[in-house]
Amino acid sequence: MVEMIKVSRNYGTDIKALTDISLTIDTGEMFFLIGRSGAGKTTLLKLICNMETPSNGLIEVAGYNINNLKGKKLAHLRQKIGVAYQDFKLLNNRTVAENIAIAMEVSYKKPLAIRQTVRDLLLQLQLTDKHNTITEELSRGEQQRVALARAVANSPRLILVDEPTGNLDANTTERVMNLLSRRNKAGATIVIATHDPSIYQKGNHRVMELRDGTIHSLTRSKAS
Amino acid sequence: MNFWLAVFRQAGRNLRQTWMSQLMTFLTVSLSVLIFAFFYLVYTNTIGASDKLSEEIRLIVYLNEEPGPEMQQQLIRKINNFDDTEEIRFVSKQEAYDRFAAQLGDDSDVLDGMPKDFLPASIEVVPLQTLRGFSEIKLFSEYLAKLPGSEKVQYGQEWMERFYYFTQLLTIVVLLSASLLILTATFMVSYTIRLTIMGRQDELELLKLVGATNSYIRTPFLLEGILQGLMGSLIGLSALYALFRWITLHFTDPGLLNMFHFNFLQPVIIAAIILTSIGLCTLGSFTSIQKFLKV
Ligand SMILES: Nc1ncnc2c1ncn2[C@@H]1O[C@H](COP(=O)(O)OP(=O)(O)OP(=O)(O)O)[C@@H](O)[C@H]1O
Ligand SMILES: [Mg+2]
Repeated sequence: MVEMIKVSRNYGTDIKALTDISLTIDTGEMFFLIGRSGAGKTTLLKLICNMETPSNGLIEVAGYNINNLKGKKLAHLRQKIGVAYQDFKLLNNRTVAENIAIAMEVSYKKPLAIRQTVRDLLLQLQLTDKHNTITEELSRGEQQRVALARAVANSPRLILVDEPTGNLDANTTERVMNLLSRRNKAGATIVIATHDPSIYQKGNHRVMELRDGTIHSLTRSKAS
Repeated sequence: MNFWLAVFRQAGRNLRQTWMSQLMTFLTVSLSVLIFAFFYLVYTNTIGASDKLSEEIRLIVYLNEEPGPEMQQQLIRKINNFDDTEEIRFVSKQEAYDRFAAQLGDDSDVLDGMPKDFLPASIEVVPLQTLRGFSEIKLFSEYLAKLPGSEKVQYGQEWMERFYYFTQLLTIVVLLSASLLILTATFMVSYTIRLTIMGRQDELELLKLVGATNSYIRTPFLLEGILQGLMGSLIGLSALYALFRWITLHFTDPGLLNMFHFNFLQPVIIAAIILTSIGLCTLGSFTSIQKFLKV
């Protein structure tokens, strides 16, 4: 699903956020990115969703060289990629429901289907009572879940999640991970950047640790 | 279908968010349509009136003596030398007298004791329909004044001259108001749309990230331009029509109305004004989109 060959990303001349990353993520995999703050996790995710362009190297997503894509093709590929950003990127003056709906509106889903999906997601993430709340008024943990709901709403083939559980208690974390696991079982490829060992130690997943923009280790977590 | 639903929803959001400047733009567009259409209406009616008046143009050449039949033939040849005419008619002293007497009607007794030949003989020349421009008539009259035996040429030069300069002035005013319309429509619309785009930078960014196509992002803004043009011209023209009705109702002076038969703009012209406003406003929004909505 994702193929990276010798990818580097520099900011200016001195900041090397990522250097020579080569990596393959299989379709249907749930893949974890770890590493201390500033290691380059967010940068890697942004490269995969074409929010940033690599300084060097090749990135293929779903068979497309994502940096050569333009216009309609790029738009359609992006509809198939759901991203929960570390800084959420929610529209602060809109309601929770509207924020989640945006991801589906751009691919012209029917209003009725959109409403149904929004309600389902809010139920799964325990946000049902926030349906009509302006996102500005939510707590960070709530905003984080809204961002996640928007990322998965359009049933994307590839889901990129940056720090999904940073502000959540154990119980809510579990709900979030259950939601992602279900999507994974349904066939979606999922990449999660996290600091929280509890969410990857339970399953059998590949875990890649970044350190100063390079791959430090790529191991497989074993269910214990 | 869903595409248009999305576009209308988005356009609705735009309108709600910047309704103040939208309203201003809308009012400016309607006002400039009103101003332009008003002057254009006055212009077409003036042209219509002048056409009507020029149908009745005749040049009268007063002669210092009654021309004999030979002389008449010669004069006709000379006049037709300058240009073919619709009609040339000789009015003898006797005819002039009879006509005058008939005009006086019951008061014709004041003529008693006057010699029957106190009015000069004349030639009435009706120029061809093609020879209707003010300057051409003027040239013709100068030519006629040089005919042998010609005393004086009359054709209502004074009002013709005034009318001529009035239509010249009107043409300029119409052109000026047309440029005003073009400027306001394109610049105001492009400005408000720029405002909207600036105010929603975050959302537009996000829309691109979640995979909105160019047309999804751009069409609402184009629609906004079209809407501004349509609404602005409709309201402007309706206001003009109301004004027109009011004037024709309140100034029903029969003499004036008969001379200047007031007509409202023709349907073709109305359609042209609406389409042009839509075109200009769309152009305005398009330039803003090109400049500020790089995708
Ligand atoms: N837009 C930018 N301009 C300059 N430097 C940047 C930019 N974005 C990221 N960096 C730098 O690139 C490096 C990697 O940043 P990145 O956000 O990928 O880290 P991260 O692993 O996501 O950290 P965290 O766990 O805190 O989220 C950092 O040193 C950061 O300062
Ligand atoms: Mg990060």
